[in-house]
Order: sequence, then structure tokens, then C-alpha cells
Amino acid sequence: MSCGNPTTEPDALMQRRKKYDKTKNCVKCKDTQGNIVIRHAVYCKNCFIPLLVHKFRRTLEPSVNPKPDGPRRTALKPAGNLLVGLSGGLGSSVLLDLIYKCYIALDKSTMPAEGGRDHPRHERVWKKVTVCYVEVCDAFPGMKDRTEEIARFVSRYDELDFVPLRIQDAFDRTWWEKTGRKASFSDMGVSLSDESLLIESLSAGHPDPLTALRTYLSSLPTPTAIHTSIQILTRVLLLHTALQTSSSHLLLGTSLTSLAVSLISGVAQGAGFNVREETMEEWTPDPETRPTPDVVLDDVKDGADKGKKQLKRTVRVVRPLRDIGMKECAAWAWWSHIPIVGKEKWVWPGAKPGIGTLTKDFILGLEQDYPSTVSTIVRTCGKLAPKGEVSGKCILCGRPAQRGVQEWKARISIRSQPPPPPADPTDGSAPPVPVVPESKSDTRPSLTPYLCYPCHTTLTSRSARPVPSPWPNAAQASVVALPVWTEARLGAGAGGEPSPADEEIMVAKKMGQAEMKGIVNEFLLDD
Amino acid sequence: MPPRTCALCNDARAILKRPKTGQQICKECFFYVFETEVHNTITEARLFKPGDRVAIGASGGKDSTVLAHVMKTLNERYKYGLELFLLSIDEGITGYRDDSLETVKRNQQQYDMPLKILSYDELYGWTMDAIVAQIGKKNNCTFCGVFRRQALDRGAAILNVDHIVTGHNADDIAETVLMNIMRGDIARLGRCTSICTQGEDTIKRSKPFKYAYEKEIVMYAYFKKLDYFSTECIYSPDAYRGHARAFLKDLEAARPSAIIDIIHSGEAFEIKEDVKATQKIQQTCRRCGYMSSNELCKACTLLEGLERGMATAAVTDRARKRLDADGPAPENLRTIPMFQLPSAPRQKPTTTAVEGTT
Ligand SMILES: [Zn+2]
Ligand SMILES: [Zn+2]
Ligand SMILES: [Zn+2]
Ligand SMILES: [Zn+2]
Repeated sequence: MSCGNPTTEPDALMQRRKKYDKTKNCVKCKDTQGNIVIRHAVYCKNCFIPLLVHKFRRTLEPSVNPKPDGPRRTALKPAGNLLVGLSGGLGSSVLLDLIYKCYIALDKSTMPAEGGRDHPRHERVWKKVTVCYVEVCDAFPGMKDRTEEIARFVSRYDELDFVPLRIQDAFDRTWWEKTGRKASFSDMGVSLSDESLLIESLSAGHPDPLTALRTYLSSLPTPTAIHTSIQILTRVLLLHTALQTSSSHLLLGTSLTSLAVSLISGVAQGAGFNVREETMEEWTPDPETRPTPDVVLDDVKDGADKGKKQLKRTVRVVRPLRDIGMKECAAWAWWSHIPIVGKEKWVWPGAKPGIGTLTKDFILGLEQDYPSTVSTIVRTCGKLAPKGEVSGKCILCGRPAQRGVQEWKARISIRSQPPPPPADPTDGSAPPVPVVPESKSDTRPSLTPYLCYPCHTTLTSRSARPVPSPWPNAAQASVVALPVWTEARLGAGAGGEPSPADEEIMVAKKMGQAEMKGIVNEFLLDD
Repeated sequence: MPPRTCALCNDARAILKRPKTGQQICKECFFYVFETEVHNTITEARLFKPGDRVAIGASGGKDSTVLAHVMKTLNERYKYGLELFLLSIDEGITGYRDDSLETVKRNQQQYDMPLKILSYDELYGWTMDAIVAQIGKKNNCTFCGVFRRQALDRGAAILNVDHIVTGHNADDIAETVLMNIMRGDIARLGRCTSICTQGEDTIKRSKPFKYAYEKEIVMYAYFKKLDYFSTECIYSPDAYRGHARAFLKDLEAARPSAIIDIIHSGEAFEIKEDVKATQKIQQTCRRCGYMSSNELCKACTLLEGLERGMATAAVTDRARKRLDADGPAPENLRTIPMFQLPSAPRQKPTTTAVEGTT
């Protein structure tokens, strides 16, 4: 619009502020010189440590028990074990340190003062704690494998189980079977070369996992899609590992800063419907890909709870550092002498930064001048709820998908020739209607109806210019293999023995029909 | 390379790449899909009914110039049955509005639509030049934004129209979604993606271009040979919004669908019920009758500050307290005329208020 600034109002003007208020002394104990500034307040090291532990516990503990219970008086009794996702980066390394000190070593310095010696917090919470690391080095050329270093890092802490995975496990049927899933694969893949995302059979059979991974990534249309896909593959690998280790909780080391980045990046990729899941998520496996009951019983051997756990196959994803900024994490790591392994940058020759990278650079830059930006973003998104109906779970990312997104896309970006305008418009006798290209009664199976908006965008939305692939020499396949969980759901739906699984897929198909009915309904005459 | 054929009609030679979809298409198909998408936006939201009197907020810039053209085209093609008007606001910024108002006057003749120009001077007794002379270049976009919003409503009331359409495009809306998340403006975040806003006592306002890319609006004007003025505000805009705009451009360069994807995100969430309950209720300004979330509306507060020589007063709450501490508003304070909605049954607009089409 004309002024470039039509809606500016007083509260829109963010005030720059100086780094800290008034004094250089710690705001808590008042007499020690401060060591760290957290959002304008100065803290000394001795006051900072308990403050950070308090923030960590305050975020995590209300979601430990299956039913959250306000100001908690009872003991922490999770429904299963604990899985910690470790990337080697700052956040997840600090997270692991905190979990170890608070819930395994029961380190005195991390115990809350209140509650006395018999306070239920002073005991072990999770019976088994597993750390899972997903190595992504095979996704990018020339990237260093850090599995060994990570294993050494984890071994600093005793009593932890370590599960190292590789990103290509997402395409590995043996891994899938190892997690206790029944496999009914049909050698189906998807054609990523055009927008219709047709499901076709893999002509050369199922490729080995590494080839499948690289072909998949090379067939994606943008650097954004490559980054986002790796994040999704990692997250779903972790979720299935949580299931496999009978974990009721998966903890991730997302800090306040990285949560703000992932929220904005998600919004920029069309994931507004899943804002809630970025903060807190309850995930249940697809019915058809659940482990067979005897595997679960085999896995969980603690008598009385056996039956209960078999029913309760939900993984709660919690990000206990979501109130703690990157700088605070760095201070904790420094004062606790945590040897951070670090993460490699996801780059390849000629790659342009994707939406995730751009968002991170933007938010970190903004935070320099406007220090409250990240907490404002997180607070604002916390006030949002998804709008509209859910249409099942996305076959790729496992998150709730919003109904009607394909119709929305078809109206707003016309991609095939629409019919000409009516020669003789109705002239007020009936309201004018939207003009959309007729769907070419395409009955060929497509992945599209099973995808959420952001995943569909990931697979179909192109850059203005061609993008160099990380694996330019990877075999260019017209049909690429899908992640095992996607393939398993398709396999369960596309023929095979009748099972509850079939029902779920069939339901999804019928919804498409019902939806069409819904659209034409108001134009049908009563009989 | 051989000439490409249009991805839509598969017949004519493709002469452009659509910024929104990346498809290579011909000129005629571009016009048609661009217009049809706007038509879809209008019909899906059931924006109008036959006989509606609709004012196009016309600034002489690209958005409103193209909007006037497309509204006229669609109104005829699909027989919406609308009576269209042009409504312009003259902020009183020397050298900024003069030329662009000429564009609007030319549109009035080309499209045969009545035009009303309403000036800040006429309405508030202050031009933007005079405001800047008093307060300096800081915060003046606050004044401009608040004043323009009311001025459009008041102009619409004078024209006795039911509805104002503005040229806000997809880029503007995506940018506003990002801004509102980053500055925590939950109330605006909840409504900024809705195509149409109408409070109980404001005139219906909508954005038929909410899914139209800025680049395509420019492209449309270019191929249709519509002339417009590129109107960059000469007073410095809010730096924070500037950051958001630059970020959005980067996102669009990385993946052109980002703009539409952000809008989709904005439409896919809503404010939680318990948060909604704590929002301020709308009331009417006790001085001028315009909708307001406080006793005095923003325009009246700003105007009072200007009149009393404490212009920065209304920009922050603290400064507003200073203004109050300075005593009550003087009796003879210049105020904005009382606001009244066009009343039903509808009367003929006073012809003197409208510059007739010749
Ligand atoms: Zn202290
Ligand atoms: Zn998805
Ligand atoms: Zn064409
Ligand atoms: Zn007022």
C-alpha cells in the first residue's frame, strides 16, 4: 500500500533497550557481581545454576504423569521409559546433562530445596533412560561421521542406554522390522517429478537404504525441502525408537531460541495448523504399523503394568528447555564443563540457504537489537490453536493434517487451464461461484490425499531457478522409494490381508468422497 | 532453445513465468488466471451481493490501480451487480500525493466511477507535512496509519457505501502475519488473514487481492499498460517492519510459495478460546463516535496531543499519562466530526460530496 506502513500503531513500535538495567550486581543475591545477563536482568553464577534447573523442572515435570495435574503434590510416575534425542548440539547436550543430574545421579545441587528429605522428587523417575542419536552425515557429501564422538560423550554419564541410528534407516526395512513392526511392503514409490505425486511401483525393486535416501533427497525440489525432510525423518525415527524402547516420553533439546526459529520457519512453510505440535506433541503410531502385541509384552516385563502399557502406546514429546535461551544453555555448558560435540552444517556445493537457515539467521540477528523477540514469538504461538477440522494424520510426518487443503490450493493458485467464464452469467439469480479447473477425473493413486499442507508443499513447491542437488550423480529415478513408515501405511492400504489397518486407509479415501459431497451439496436439489 | 508453449492453454507461446507458481504461460492465460483467482477469492467469501455500493480505496499506487481495473472487469464479466466508487485520501504530503491523485482522477474517467477525495486537512485540520513539522520524522507513520484508517471509513460514510475494498496484497498480508507473531499482537494476528473485517459499527472492509502476489500485480499493470505511481512514503517507515519485509523477500526467493504458505498458516490457526476471553472489548470513542478499544480512539488521542503541542503523547501509554496529568482537554479543542455509519434505509449520497463523473 501507499505508505508501506498502513497498520502501524503505537504498540507496533518495538523499543530498543539497553542490555541490562541499572546495576551490575546480581538481581537475586544483590551483593555478588553478575556473570550473565538474561533479558535485562543480571545474575551471578551461584544464582544462575538453580534458576536454570528450576526453569527446566518447571517445564518438564507437569507433563511427566500421564494425566497432568496442576500444582503437583504427588510423585512423578511416568507411564514408561525415557528417550532423549541427542543431536550433538548445544541444546540437546545441556538437556542430557540436566536429565542426568536431576533424575539419574540425583545431584544435590539440582534438588529443589522445598519439600524436605522425603519429597517424592528425590527419587528416580524413569526406570530406563535411552539416548538416541541419528547420524545424518550420509545425507550430504563430505560430511564427518560423529557417531564415535557422540558415543564417547554419552559414556560420560553412566546408566544410559545408547541407540545410534543413521538417517538412511528411515528407508531400511530391516530397521523397521527390528523395531517390531510387521512388514507388508509392496515396492511402491512416488513420482516426485511432477505435482500430481503419483504412486507407482519401483521398477527396479526396492533400492538399498543409502541409495533410497540419496535418490529421495536429490529428487526434492528445493534446499528447504531437503532440510525439512531430514528433520522430519529424524523426528519420526526418534518417535519409533521411543516406541521400541517402551518410552512414554521423548525429550528434545529445543531451546527458547531454537523453538522460536522452528515456529517461524514452520509458519513460513505453511505449517500453521501444527504450531501446537512444535511445542508439545502426543504421538500415537498408525494402527496398521503398531508392533504386534506379543512384541510389546515381550518388551515390557514389569508385571502389574503389563496390560496397561500395551494399551497406552502414546509418546509424549516434550521440549524441557523451551523457556531457556541459547545464551543460558551456553553458560550452563561452560560452567558445567560439558564437551559439546557440535553439529555439522547441512550444506553442499552450490546450495542456497533454505527457509530454515534464513529464519535462523533472521531471528538471531533480530534478537541482537530486540532481545525480547524470541520469547514474544514463543508466547504468541502459545496462544494459538489449530482451526478447522483434522483429516487424519499425514503419512509422511505423522502430524495431524487439516481438511480441505487441496481445494484451498486449487482455488488460490490455478495450475491448469480453467474453463472460460460463462457466456451468459446468471445476472443475480444465483450467486457467482469460484472457477476452478475441472479435476481430470484422475483415478490413478496419488500420495497427495495422505499429505498435510506443509509436506505437500515440501514435495511439490519449486524454486524460481533450478537447484543443485547434494548428490548430482545419484541415479535419477522417476519413481523414488518412500520412508518405511509411509510405505508400510500404503502397503497396508493397497490390498494385502484385511486388517484394521485397511480400515484406516479406506476411511481416508472415503473422506475424500464425503468432502466432494460437501462441496456440491448446496447445489443439489432436494428430492 | 525452442519457444515454450503456455503450460495452461498448451497453445500460445509462453511469455512469462508466473511468480506465484513458476509456470511458464502466455499473456492471455496470465490475465485470465490472475482475474479468476481474485474472482474465486470474492465468491468463496461471498463478499458482495447484487446492488452493493462498493468503494475502492484508491491511492494511485499499483495495488489500487490494478484493483480498480480488475473490480470493473469482474463486475461486468460475472454480473456482480455492484455500484463502484473510488475513494482517495489526501494525507497532505507535498510531492507524494499530488501526482498519484492525478492517476486516480484519470481512473475516474477511464472507468466511469465517481470519485471522492478526502483530505487529512479537511478532516483533522492537520496535514502530514504540518504533523511532521511538529513532531519530527519519528513515529509519524503511527499518525498516518491511524488517520488513514478512520479517513477511509469517514469517506465511505460520505459516499454512503456498504463496503470498502482495499488493495492489500498477499505480500502485505504475509508480512503482517510475521510481524504480529514477532511483536506479540495476538488480536491483530487473529484477524489479519481474514478477507473481510467488520465490527458492529464500522463499514465492511475487504481485501480481494489477499492471495495476489505483489509481483503479479505489477506484471498485470505492465501488460495491461496501466499507469500508476510508485509511491514510497518519503517519511521514514518503522524499521521493524522493514526487517520483516526484507525477510519475506528472502523467503520468497528461497521458495516462491512462501508468501501463500504463510497466509495459509495464518488461516490455519486461531486464538485459543481462553485467550480470546481476555481481549479488550470494542467501544465507541466518547469524543468522535468511532470504534475504539479505549474511551478515546487513537485518532482523537493523537489529535489532542498535536493540538496541545504534546504530539508524542499518544504514542506510548506513559506519554498519555503525562498528557492527562497536564490537565483536561481544553474546551475549545479541535476535534474530529462525529462518526455516523451510512444508515438504512439508504439515502442518496449528497451530490456535492462526490465529484461527478464527466
Ligand atoms: Zn547472585
Ligand atoms: Zn506432513
Ligand atoms: Zn496460454
Ligand atoms: Zn475519537
